[in-house]
Amino acid sequence: MSEAGDIASLAPGPIEGVEYPLKVLYCGQCTMPLEYCDYSGQTELCRAWATQNVPDLLEGLNIDDSKGGDEKKHQTRGGKGSKPVKEKKKASGGVQKVTVQREPRGKKSVTVIKGLATFEIDLKVAAKFFAQKFACGSSVTGNDEIVIQGDVKDDLFDLIPGKWAQVTEEHIDDLGDKKR
Amino acid sequence: MFKKFDDKEDVTGTTQLKSSIQKGIRKKLIENYPTLEPYLEEILPKKENFKLIKCKDHVELLADHTGVVRFVKTRNTDFIPTLRTLHKYPFILPHQQVDKGAIKFILNGSSIMCPGLTSPGAKMTPLVPKDTVVAVMAEGKENALAIGQMTMSSEEIQSINKGNGIENVHYLNDGLWHLAEKPLN
Repeated sequence: MSEAGDIASLAPGPIEGVEYPLKVLYCGQCTMPLEYCDYSGQTELCRAWATQNVPDLLEGLNIDDSKGGDEKKHQTRGGKGSKPVKEKKKASGGVQKVTVQREPRGKKSVTVIKGLATFEIDLKVAAKFFAQKFACGSSVTGNDEIVIQGDVKDDLFDLIPGKWAQVTEEHIDDLGDKKR
Repeated sequence: MFKKFDDKEDVTGTTQLKSSIQKGIRKKLIENYPTLEPYLEEILPKKENFKLIKCKDHVELLADHTGVVRFVKTRNTDFIPTLRTLHKYPFILPHQQVDKGAIKFILNGSSIMCPGLTSPGAKMTPLVPKDTVVAVMAEGKENALAIGQMTMSSEEIQSINKGNGIENVHYLNDGLWHLAEKPLN
């Protein structure tokens, strides 16, 4: 293998003359480093992606493909190969929905908004925007969750579509009050 | 370990850490990975606060200020770099190279068996004791494909040559890999 030089660095420690962090190119299809595309179970798609995005690297990839051919012969004998990736990812990514909910906090209440991230909205920016608009506290509290202090649920139905055109009023779901 | 890991289901909460605790974690990382010291500033800048994300099964993730998960702590390991961090700084962990035939099994999440580490295509860093966290490389590939924990020392793997040699903790395309993907962009 020509990579012998690279692997000679088995011992830990940075290699002299190499600048870190290294940049590793990941396949847009299977997300793995390009050299592992062979094992993604969707080599065709990976190659298509590589042809489009990194044509200059494709040459190296093609060499790997010939090796991939051998690999396939092995797989026909059965056993565990790399399974083709199921398309459930698209389904979960396809649901675009925002939910708003009032949640009591003692005698006051807060408003919880979920699902803004499915519209590729930056949650930090959104929280800041809400805080400014309603003159209250607002924070990103989790993955795809914003809490606004105070009950502002009703105003959100106009505000969100006004601010982000990609969200229409149909996308917003009112979950009502959350029971303690 | 992270075969099924979903950011919606498995995360139980995030905490902003006190700076004294952050300092402690930084110190510990340097202690565990002394070669990382000059680069730690790039990974976890001192000025920025990093977050601790707690998950089920005693898993803790360390995310930098932009929300990218950089280190993981599991029940029986200390903080270990994620594969994406490892790809950028491959020298952090000792490398163990497996032969080509093992790749597809590892990418399915299986542990690394001794024969895959002793065959002609494979290479092992000698004198790696049991329970060390190692980077699993592959024959003919430049980047690591998994991170594992040794269940035997390198010498034992060489002499016993049977059964589990490295337990697969984190590999390409597992749940944790996909988790790191989103905030990255």
